[in-house]
Amino acid sequence: MAGDKKLYAIVIGCGRLGAHLASTLSGQGHSVVAVDSRHSAFDALTSEFSGFRLEGDATEFAVLKQAKIDRADLVVATTDDDNVNLMVAQVAARIFDVPRVVARIEDPRKEEVYSSLGIETICPASLAGNIFMETLKSAGL
Amino acid sequence: MNLHDIRRKQCATILSYTGGVITLGAPLMLTPLSVGFFHRGEWGAWKDFTIPAVALFLLGMTLWRGFHSRRAATINILEGGVIVLLSWIIIILFSAFPFITALHLNFTQAVFEAVSGWTTTGLSVVDVTKAPRAILIWRSTIQLAGGAGLAIIMISSIAGPVGPGLAFAEGRTDQLVPHVRKSAKLVMTIYLGYAIVGTLAYIFAGMSSFDAVNHSFAAVSTGGFSTVPESIGRWNSVTIEAVTITLMILGNLNFLTAYLMLNGKFRAVGRNGEVRLMAFVLPVSAFLLFFLVCRGFYPTLEKGARVAIFETVSALTTTGFSTVSYNNWPAFGWFLLIVLMLVGGGTCSTAGGIKQYRIYLLYKSLGWEFKRYFLPRTAVVENYVWQGENKDYIKDDRIRQTSLFLFLYLICYVLSVGILTAHGFNLPESMFESASSLGTVGISVGVTSASAPPIVLWTETLGMFLGRLEFFIVFISAWKIILLSRTIQRSVNNPG
Amino acid sequence: MNILIVGGGRIVYFLCRTFISKGYRLTLVNRDVEECSWLARHLKATVVHGDGTDLRVLEECRAESFNAILAVTGNDQDNLAICQQARLKFNVARTLAMVNDPDNEEVFRKLGVTAAFSTTRIITSLIEQRTGFEDVVNLVPLEEGKVNLTEVILDETSPVAGRALADISLPENSLIAIVTRNGSSIIPRGGTVLQAGDRLVVITLPENMGRVIKLLTGGK
Repeated sequence: MAGDKKLYAIVIGCGRLGAHLASTLSGQGHSVVAVDSRHSAFDALTSEFSGFRLEGDATEFAVLKQAKIDRADLVVATTDDDNVNLMVAQVAARIFDVPRVVARIEDPRKEEVYSSLGIETICPASLAGNIFMETLKSAGL
Repeated sequence: MNLHDIRRKQCATILSYTGGVITLGAPLMLTPLSVGFFHRGEWGAWKDFTIPAVALFLLGMTLWRGFHSRRAATINILEGGVIVLLSWIIIILFSAFPFITALHLNFTQAVFEAVSGWTTTGLSVVDVTKAPRAILIWRSTIQLAGGAGLAIIMISSIAGPVGPGLAFAEGRTDQLVPHVRKSAKLVMTIYLGYAIVGTLAYIFAGMSSFDAVNHSFAAVSTGGFSTVPESIGRWNSVTIEAVTITLMILGNLNFLTAYLMLNGKFRAVGRNGEVRLMAFVLPVSAFLLFFLVCRGFYPTLEKGARVAIFETVSALTTTGFSTVSYNNWPAFGWFLLIVLMLVGGGTCSTAGGIKQYRIYLLYKSLGWEFKRYFLPRTAVVENYVWQGENKDYIKDDRIRQTSLFLFLYLICYVLSVGILTAHGFNLPESMFESASSLGTVGISVGVTSASAPPIVLWTETLGMFLGRLEFFIVFISAWKIILLSRTIQRSVNNPG
Repeated sequence: MNILIVGGGRIVYFLCRTFISKGYRLTLVNRDVEECSWLARHLKATVVHGDGTDLRVLEECRAESFNAILAVTGNDQDNLAICQQARLKFNVARTLAMVNDPDNEEVFRKLGVTAAFSTTRIITSLIEQRTGFEDVVNLVPLEEGKVNLTEVILDETSPVAGRALADISLPENSLIAIVTRNGSSIIPRGGTVLQAGDRLVVITLPENMGRVIKLLTGGK
């Protein structure tokens, strides 16, 4: 993360990607709250992580408030359910005016629908596909 | 990387961070020399401090640089534990140096005093009337530092390891904000804030600035070292006692609770188990002490009340200041103080003892267990206590750990009492002094003195050390060191 | 009226039955293949097996041809996704979502869903607002509880029985909307005389509801 400013980040979904992001952000000095509905998910966090763990369903308004989303600088929605990610991202961006919001989407088709809403999305499948195509192209295929 | 390389790297990380931690001790050792500025002519002690300071610095830098790896390694709790154990032992040994050279104490006595300082106990073998000012301020300074804890000091300073492993190892499990460094800095700010306000309050109440600084440091760290043999009793002032009581209670508050209080979250503070326990135990004990002991013992009711309140707070918060001597007190008075000393102060604060949270948890568990008999057999219950602003659901393993801790504590207590009685002290004295050392309290009935048998002093030293670091980390880290050295030895014998 | 419903369970079955009896044309999307078979047998509607949050399924249903889409799955996030996708990609005019978390009612509305209703909130209102008197029943909370619609039955002891509407000084911001007598309902005017046995539909704000009820029933 460029710059010296330390952010208050909320990572929704503590699966492999979420745990990795949360641990890395925490290790870089940012204040991180990791949210997941399963308690066991937090075991994926590394020893770099020194933030808070919140067990709860992020589609529940009260859980987002408990994570103090009103103070967040960054919200990353990375559960394995696109619909949850999109809902949380919109609540963060529209209702709470969080400056930076990113949602993970697995279904590439949804990307364009949601980009019209102004939600920043990351689609692992598309990204991997693009890199794959580049690799094939540079191999002359 | 095979196992040996991993272990070697671990050792390097551990030694490196240990070096980093103890290097911080070096400037600390030079601070007592500042008395030379305020009190002319008291430069005599400079050698006693500069020599160990320089040595500590060199040792620390050698370890830090020598084993340093480019990447800031993350520390897990086992590694953190070893770092904590090693750094404490090294710093204590160096801290003892001035006591040996300036006061001519022997090794046992000097280590005792150093441990009493770092563990914020306050039991002393030093004759404060004959000690140079530099020594007095040194004792108070190490209490201030020990109260914060080496982990907090290191993490909040410029260079610190990533991750909470070090802090957790030293017993700081409650984080104030979602990042360990920010949290540590906040703790230091609150803590030093207490010390500064305390010093000013004491000066305002009539103490000399030197005494004010010393007593403020000793109060907020719930340490209890004093510059005079009679402790707070010397001033016989209600104001000073009130200031002291306030500082003692603040120092024994869990830092998260203090943080919430400073942020105005009074509802969360009111729900906190330790606050509730204190709100009950303190008035009840003070009243009992007043009614059954002090009322008849002291010439005026006012004095009796003051003594009752002060001594209760001092014992429960494990500070160790006293306003009177306890010899000739009725047995009930000793009994009450012993119970308070065993219960102890708040977790994640500067206080010692079994800790109020554990007592509160076990007390609530009794209630939960009782209720279970009246519920349907297959009912599912989720019991909780308030932790900060959130509900903390208690599973059986927490209760198990707490019960085992209590058990360990009592075993060590019983052993300590046994050793003291075996050396000629009577039972009440031994029980009192053992509770005081194990709980890092600091009030004494006379067992602790320069002339006490060495074994007694070492028992108390070990008690203070184990009590402050809460047993497990000491045993686990010691075992980890043994395991690591075995692996290293094996790899040295069979390279490749 | 073409309606697309996404969801399952008994509530969906009865909803569909009601809509069909009103003459609407329904398409129902459900994730469970056996439930789809059952619904297909018992309802005169098009039943589609699939995930309503999946754009492909919406496409196959020709979602653009519907007047309204009703999302009544068990998950708030799925209902939101269904409604938003229907609106953004398929220009469905009216989107309605059921929400579990009452706090999400307002959130969904802000995010563009035409209407969101929380069954929790409705049920809670019904339970709480039952005053225990058979003759005062709270009907429906409107506008997120900012307007109360209450039914009051006047008995012989009512202080307003036998008086004309114009002579009753109702508090500000309240209205007797409907008077039902002997099975027929009228919209009352100033000259309408209230009688014992009348059923009144009263519109009030929460602040003055107590006073209005007291005025009409005599404050039991």
